[in-house]
Amino acid sequence: MATKYYLPEDKTPLPPKSAEVLTTCCDYCIVACGYKVYRWPVGVPDGGMKASENAFGVDFPSGPLQAWVAPTQHNIVMHKGRPHNVIVIPDKDAKVVNISGDSSIRGGTIAQKCYNPDKPTNDRLMSPMVRINGTLQPVSWDMALDIATDLMKYTVKQYGANAYGMKIYSYQFVENTYAGSKFARRSMKTANWTMHDTPANVTSTPGFRDAGFDNFGPAYRDWGDAEVLMICGTDPYETKTMIFNQFMKPAIDSGQKTIWLNVRETAGIAYAKSRGNALFIQLDPGTDTPVLGAIARVIMENGWEDSDWIKKWVNNKWESSSGFGQGTRNTPWQWRTTWGKFQTKGFEDYKKWNFAQDEFDPKNAAKVANIPVEQIYQAAEWMAKPKADGTRPKTSLGIEKGFYWSNNTGNTNAVSSLATICGAGGRPGQVVGRFGGHQRGGTSGGGYPRNKSAQKRPGRRRQALDCDRYFYSGNTRFAHVVGTTWIQSMCGSAGLNTKFEELVSNNPHQVRSFDKAEIIETLKKRMDSGGTVVLNQDIYLRDPIGSRFADIVLPAATWGEEDFVRANGERRIRLYSKFYDAPGDSKPDWWIFAQLGKKMGFDGFDWKNSNDVCEESSRFSRGNRKSYHMIKVAAHKEGKTLHEKLRELGTEGIQGPAFYNYKTGELLGTVRLHDTTMSEEQMVAEGRTQGANMVNKKGTHFNSQTGKVNIQKHPWSLFSDYWVWMKPKDDELWHTNGRINEIWQSGFDDVDRRAYISQRWPENWTEIHPDDAAKRGIESGDQVLLYSDRVPNFKQTIKGVHGKDFNFAELLKNGWIKLDKAAVTAVAIVTPHVKKGTMYSYFINTAQPSNALQGRVPDQISGNYNYKMGVARVKKIGESKYKSEFRSMSFAPRNIV
Amino acid sequence: MTDLKKKDETAAEHGKCMLNRRQFLMYSGSAAAAASTISISLFPGQAQAKARVVGYPRKLVAKLSQLKDNQPLDFNYPDDGPNTSCFVVKMDGAKAGGGIGPQRDVVGFSYLCTHQGGYLTGKYQAVGEHRVLGQCPLHLSTYDLTRHGIIVSGQAYQSIPQVLLELDGDDIYAVGMMGLIFGRNDNLMEG
Repeated sequence: MATKYYLPEDKTPLPPKSAEVLTTCCDYCIVACGYKVYRWPVGVPDGGMKASENAFGVDFPSGPLQAWVAPTQHNIVMHKGRPHNVIVIPDKDAKVVNISGDSSIRGGTIAQKCYNPDKPTNDRLMSPMVRINGTLQPVSWDMALDIATDLMKYTVKQYGANAYGMKIYSYQFVENTYAGSKFARRSMKTANWTMHDTPANVTSTPGFRDAGFDNFGPAYRDWGDAEVLMICGTDPYETKTMIFNQFMKPAIDSGQKTIWLNVRETAGIAYAKSRGNALFIQLDPGTDTPVLGAIARVIMENGWEDSDWIKKWVNNKWESSSGFGQGTRNTPWQWRTTWGKFQTKGFEDYKKWNFAQDEFDPKNAAKVANIPVEQIYQAAEWMAKPKADGTRPKTSLGIEKGFYWSNNTGNTNAVSSLATICGAGGRPGQVVGRFGGHQRGGTSGGGYPRNKSAQKRPGRRRQALDCDRYFYSGNTRFAHVVGTTWIQSMCGSAGLNTKFEELVSNNPHQVRSFDKAEIIETLKKRMDSGGTVVLNQDIYLRDPIGSRFADIVLPAATWGEEDFVRANGERRIRLYSKFYDAPGDSKPDWWIFAQLGKKMGFDGFDWKNSNDVCEESSRFSRGNRKSYHMIKVAAHKEGKTLHEKLRELGTEGIQGPAFYNYKTGELLGTVRLHDTTMSEEQMVAEGRTQGANMVNKKGTHFNSQTGKVNIQKHPWSLFSDYWVWMKPKDDELWHTNGRINEIWQSGFDDVDRRAYISQRWPENWTEIHPDDAAKRGIESGDQVLLYSDRVPNFKQTIKGVHGKDFNFAELLKNGWIKLDKAAVTAVAIVTPHVKKGTMYSYFINTAQPSNALQGRVPDQISGNYNYKMGVARVKKIGESKYKSEFRSMSFAPRNIV
Repeated sequence: MTDLKKKDETAAEHGKCMLNRRQFLMYSGSAAAAASTISISLFPGQAQAKARVVGYPRKLVAKLSQLKDNQPLDFNYPDDGPNTSCFVVKMDGAKAGGGIGPQRDVVGFSYLCTHQGGYLTGKYQAVGEHRVLGQCPLHLSTYDLTRHGIIVSGQAYQSIPQVLLELDGDDIYAVGMMGLIFGRNDNLMEG
């Protein structure tokens, strides 16, 4: 009975004094801790134990919190063709983010990400490949690119630009996202374009956008400076660890009150509870809107709202309706609010509306959410009741996917309004924002051609195209998939997989020839017969998009293999240094887009290196939250490149938007957006307003039509029919999913190729409450089947005229929804830390994607999926080996303190 | 240090250690039948596995009869230098990977969290059928002591190092270590 087992080593090399030191940041979660890479050639003696003998300048054995190297932090890579030792450890000199070199398990073991032919990373893609006779076979870059571009030209000519679709990561460094969006949106001009985590190019937080809140306005220190912190749909300890370790934990230790809305009690929540100042609202999936609405109601009933703040910073009737030229006519805000469902005439109107809704009666809200009603009153009191001396508690609110992917529009509107009532949004320690998922590495290389989208409702402007549905209906003849699995990361993924089989693998036109012209002819025939050709750029051959469906595979170079730039969740912009040679013939994605662009005959794809791309892209970052344009201005003044200037800034980098003082030659960061404590005079005095510096309202005001907050309604009725329909029937349980601390979500690295993490999480798993498990005869370690015949799925075409036609109940009644079946297997973890009646699975085990069980019905207002909403039945199908041996996995609950 | 090393490198001592290593690995399976079918090929890198016990001192750390359920007994290993705080505990019948004794519930581990060296003294916990070490006071890592100290939840870069134990009558000996101790670059410091 062999199971995955990592044999721990009991020694590790120390870097010698002569080791070169480069800075980078972690590649994974939003927080992006600063790291140092120590590099020295194999053959040069390792460092010694004395401080004078190693690059850390520390005597070994080292003490707590001092520099240390775990065996998982060492690797051997090629640098300029010669083998080198590298040690990648958190930067012990870090002054920001992971102060003093703290790190998570994910970043802590990131050295194992590097390509090493002796390690599990040895299957990196090394060469372009074309599928010939069913097998992906290595070919030259020229041949692969010629085939791809010939087919792209044919697609556009025969079927129009939208028949070419691109599905691409939103985050994988500004150089790559810029080049990719320049290629697809500006040059190919397709509206069939979206990012890794959404079926259409839409916002993840419509309520924030409409209220005027930037997702990433807050500084990390604000989460610690709050006296009361509400955390919705995440435990930052698990998935953005440094926000918890460095900012929240010290605050909790000194009395910060935390309010958690979550279906699971994980380590951070358990710790906060153990300190006696946490309120854990363990609600049922999808019920946040009534709970937040009820908390807001209790606050307003008691007159605890922040009246001064509201008076100064909330739009009144006239301001709410004002267009100010750029207009409510053509903004997402207008698009959504003209349904008449959201817009208010100001605070009093909101209050009146809230009081009139039965679902915000605390009794009713508690019943829907399946929580004790006292928690609603308690939360209201903590968040807004003035203290004995009349001052208000400093309250902040942070959200993440467990929340905004449950009821996308409703929840984000509700949290915005609750925040505003509490006076949160634009002051130190009083903020509202996302904690974050992926790092922020997107820079747009071209506008989204919305006017070419095929999706439109009567009387409204066009919506961003639902690329999944467009693919389902056979309109995507050429699918260009870049650095994402596409299939498993979408809801109802079993259906998408079946469609790929039909349009790609089962199409009779398969390549049987080694001749370029014949290959192209065959694939054209595939398109002409209604099929799809798939081009996949990635670092590994991913299943199934690469291994089963791709006709052409292009190998990408990634983190550590090229100089790249990216920002974190407090808009901190840093350089991620190249420190070793990319494997084989792999090339960074920007280079691949450049070659494709040149072969297509497009202008502006002749970059020589990643700095060229970054410098070209900088002006398109102007005005946005992580603008790095002024860093380039500063760099050029000093005779440096943008990358060189960022390299000087090391792991500290600079918080965007960056400003440049032309007089002093100083670069200035932005601690937080919407900083209402910052005055115009101060901006001028600091030299943030001269020359090419771009000052816009979001720096000191909110991102709305007036610079003030839109306080919005958050009707439960737009979502409740879906929720009621989905609510578990008979022996069903809620099924929701998400990340977990040790894996986060870079499965291609950690679960698949990091021995220690594979040992911890060797297979797909689901957490189930002991009561639910006992009823079904399930124990920890049992292999279970999660299955459902109620996976609601959009049909290929849907149709509606009036607003309510897009309510789920109407869609169902009018025949636009079909019910699919789905099943995945998992190892059961019976644990009291998940709510009774709810199962929680890892969301993207690519072999058993639990997203298959989640409903594929996009939020009718935002167009995004509510990924967290699903139901499933569960039954035991056997016992996993992990039940009876002691090497891998662990069934201990995550809330032991 | 040098003396100890020499002693362990004798053929007899070496054989003893190897036997222990095999037993140690066998204990990872719960069924005796399964244990007999475990082959060394299960764990690639024999030389590496060997290194885990070769060179380690054999040190008497406790008597089985003196161990009280769920009460860790502290000792230093593999030497008395810095970062050597370890404990042995009888886990009240909870069978464990690497466990010795009739119930295979006696295990030994380092006290130093492998994240950033937090001291886990006093953090042994029996919760229902689970036996964990943690949360670490620094950054909340917890380890599963029934599964070779694998991380349950937290930020450590590896399992909590496990002390390989050997039972000789009533005497419990520490004979080796799985995993690098926090703060060391080599468990066996040059003397």
